[in-house]
Amino acid sequence: MPRHETETDAELLQGTLDMLILKICALEPLHGYGIVQRLHQISKESLNIRQGSLYPALYRLERKRWLKANWRTTDGGRDAKYYNLTKAGREQLEREQESWKRLCDAISLVLETNE
Amino acid sequence: MNWLRWIRHGKWEREMDSEMRFHVESQIRDYIRQGMNRSDAERRVRREFGAPELAKDECRDQMPFAGVDHLRGDLRIAIRSLSKNPGFTLAAILTLALGIGANTAIFSVIYAVLLKPLPYRDADRIFVSQVELADRRGPENSGRLAGTIQQYLEWRTEATLFSGIATMRPGRWNVAGDGEPERIDGAVVSSNFFSFLGAPVAPGREFLPEEEMPGKDKVVIISDSLWHRRFASDPNILGRRINLQGEPHEIVGVAPASKVMPGGPILYFHFGPRIDIWKPVAPTTQDLQGESWDQILLLRLKGVENSESGRDQLRTLLNPPGWQRPGRSELIPYLVPLREVISGNVRLRLLLLLGASQLLLLIACTNIAGLLLSRTASRSSEFAIRIALGATRSRVLTHLLAESTLLALIGGGIASVFSFAAVRLLTDRGPAAIPFLSQVRVNVPVLLFTMLMSIITGLMCGAVPAWKAYRRDAAAGLQEGGRAALGGSRAAAIRQVLMGVQIALATALLASAALLLHSFVKVVGADRGYDIERVMTVPLFPTVQGAQRVEFFGTLTDNIRSLPGVIAAGAISGIPVRGDSGSQVVYLGDDVNNTVMLQRPIAGFRNTTPGYFAASGSTLVAGRFFTEHDPVTTAVVSESLASLLWPGEPLNKIPGHTIHQGSVQSPLVSVVGVIRDVRHGAVDKSLLPQIYRPYLPPRIFSDMTLVIKTSAAPSALVPAVRAVIRKADANIPIPAIQTMQEVVSSTVAERQFQMTLTVLFAILALLLAAIGVYGVVSYAVASQTRDIGLRIAIGSTRQEILRRMMSKGMLVVFIGLIAGLAAALAAATGLRSLLYGISPYDPVALLGVAIVLLSTAFCACYLPARRASRLDPMIALRHE
Repeated sequence: MPRHETETDAELLQGTLDMLILKICALEPLHGYGIVQRLHQISKESLNIRQGSLYPALYRLERKRWLKANWRTTDGGRDAKYYNLTKAGREQLEREQESWKRLCDAISLVLETNE
Repeated sequence: MNWLRWIRHGKWEREMDSEMRFHVESQIRDYIRQGMNRSDAERRVRREFGAPELAKDECRDQMPFAGVDHLRGDLRIAIRSLSKNPGFTLAAILTLALGIGANTAIFSVIYAVLLKPLPYRDADRIFVSQVELADRRGPENSGRLAGTIQQYLEWRTEATLFSGIATMRPGRWNVAGDGEPERIDGAVVSSNFFSFLGAPVAPGREFLPEEEMPGKDKVVIISDSLWHRRFASDPNILGRRINLQGEPHEIVGVAPASKVMPGGPILYFHFGPRIDIWKPVAPTTQDLQGESWDQILLLRLKGVENSESGRDQLRTLLNPPGWQRPGRSELIPYLVPLREVISGNVRLRLLLLLGASQLLLLIACTNIAGLLLSRTASRSSEFAIRIALGATRSRVLTHLLAESTLLALIGGGIASVFSFAAVRLLTDRGPAAIPFLSQVRVNVPVLLFTMLMSIITGLMCGAVPAWKAYRRDAAAGLQEGGRAALGGSRAAAIRQVLMGVQIALATALLASAALLLHSFVKVVGADRGYDIERVMTVPLFPTVQGAQRVEFFGTLTDNIRSLPGVIAAGAISGIPVRGDSGSQVVYLGDDVNNTVMLQRPIAGFRNTTPGYFAASGSTLVAGRFFTEHDPVTTAVVSESLASLLWPGEPLNKIPGHTIHQGSVQSPLVSVVGVIRDVRHGAVDKSLLPQIYRPYLPPRIFSDMTLVIKTSAAPSALVPAVRAVIRKADANIPIPAIQTMQEVVSSTVAERQFQMTLTVLFAILALLLAAIGVYGVVSYAVASQTRDIGLRIAIGSTRQEILRRMMSKGMLVVFIGLIAGLAAALAAATGLRSLLYGISPYDPVALLGVAIVLLSTAFCACYLPARRASRLDPMIALRHE
């Protein structure tokens, strides 16, 4: 599949970005660049976040207290802002996964109907 | 502003910066590791990341302080764009300052007079009782009486729903002994008066209950200003003696006048403009036997009671079981809130003034909205570019609102500064009849009002242009390019509508002003039944007693009459407007029983010396005036009293008829003359019939006023008159000598105050409207320059161009005028109670307004239209 950054970006469904960020932060605390890299890697290079929209999303999630940020030194010896999932964030992630699953099931039902 | 931002969220900004920098640098490092050279990697990252500033902005939007940030940005841009166009900015700020300033000044008066809590304890539970005779109800409260001393004494114990009751009535005394003899205004009050109001007496004490006994009442409390003025703030003032009417009184206290009841007219009582002495009320046995409605009763309702039940209790007390007997009418009490009694009669005038100033501000708003609209139209490409670059429409909207609000706030700031001067002018020159006027201040509530008005004004001015910009299509704005500098035709249409609204508002304001002005002219020119030109009045309070006073005035008036330049001189116990010596029922001579009381008229009575009628310019209708030889049992009656007593009888048959004054037991009095009615009150109040009796024993008033008719301006004679009076009695205080003109002008002072300010506002409104019209037509000329040039080039005459440009403007003016007149007619009924001698649809006033407005608007249209007709077609065609 030929891949173009801007196309995949557009394919990210509205509202799923928040869920993906929460999910990735649930695995381990990461900084913004790490989140992009991890998403890229986990999705086998098929999902790419436009960096410009990552940070507004991170700040939004932080304000809703689903993410908590703290400054740490990276392995490379630089200061970076790491995002942790909070308890409220974990609950939110579960809720979103739940409804995402229901949506997918429903869509599959529709698409797999014969005739 | 920047340092503020630094303190408030500098750390936040720095962290966001380094977070994004970290991201970008990590990505670049990764690309280099994948084998790209540095500059390629940097370029790629820049493309992928997008504009970092945009991302940052979006992040800021997520934060709770985003709104503040936006506002600050808007304000910064607004300041920048306003300072780029200082002419426009200055004009707009001054216009708004004018409108807001007018509102601030009027509101400061309204606040002090109508809104500020009265400075008394539990002031909203204090009521003034008034009583009406059920069978003698007059129109509009005119027949209401105040209270009697007996009611005070009875209700003190019996009116259980009230926690307290106090009385007051006007008092006026000759003060002599220490320093210049002078006449000082004051009040006679119950002993609990000060504690009832919660007014402090310091130094000293308030009156004691036993000081309400005749003989023990030789004590006074003086005002702080009298203490400073007459006693030089003597620290040992308590216990000092002061001579009132020749009797020594002990000063027992000093009270701040501002914390006690104000002077001026209250109900039908005339208190002096300043109250400087309080003395305890001490009814004599004679007072207690008579019935005199000469007390103002203040009652404080208990906390749990409402005024209706309080009123019911008074009704029961006033009409005890078995009250019904012939000649006795049921007494109906009213409880009027103290605030209403003090300032009720000026409320409507003040509110209408506020209305007028609000109209003025609205007109100013329309002007600014029109100007902003043209500005927005010419800046449409700026907005289009901003939207194309990613500004949201609502940001452009708030930006425009911020701009107009900033203008209005600066205008409001200037207005507040100037309002200090305006308020000083109002308190110095305003009519004394407005209570608490001296206490009008620019204070925190007034400034809050100003700020609120500024913000509302700013939003209103900005609303139309902001909406216009909001709706605008970015692409259209860009395409219009330079041509958009003159705005779309839609903006021009909106400006025409605004201009029409403005003319309508100005017309309505002008019409109200014209009605008030015409009323004022009618009031001043009204037939009062006495002369006001070249008449001097001197209130005098002789120190001699009893019958000696008759002689004193006899000699005095003879001496004054012999002065060169004096035509006539006399004295009366109550001159029109100022004086009042009481009113009584007048019976027919053959009435034998008081049962007819309700059918007989009430008339004001006055005692006069023989020279009075000639001096005051009264007009004799039948019979004759008094002569020196008339006994006390003669009377002169006014025309209206004659027609009430002897309806239908020809006036020349009236002299010779007999009457009783006060009661049928009183001596028979024979009428010697009938004079034309004299308006003893203000001309716009109802007319009270009058009976005049000679100034002879047994009833010798101490309060008399000399009335002197002169052949030239009275002022020239003042020193001579003063000298004659001094010669007659060296100790008599001579208060300010006034002309009758001055006396009368005090009755129209409130009317004049309202009229002057309304006319001032209307003139300003007219000017603003003219500027508005001028602006719209100039704008039309400017935007059609090419078109006009073309027309001239292909043969239009300059006359045609002139007519064409003018007719459009004048059409809008005409529509606005009609709408404004219709609005004024609808609103005029609200003015009705303030008009005198004209109807709310007064054709003179309304026609005058139409002429003034049309001619002003004509000039405002003509100037720019003439400029259009003189355009050089060659230059006009090249115009972009």
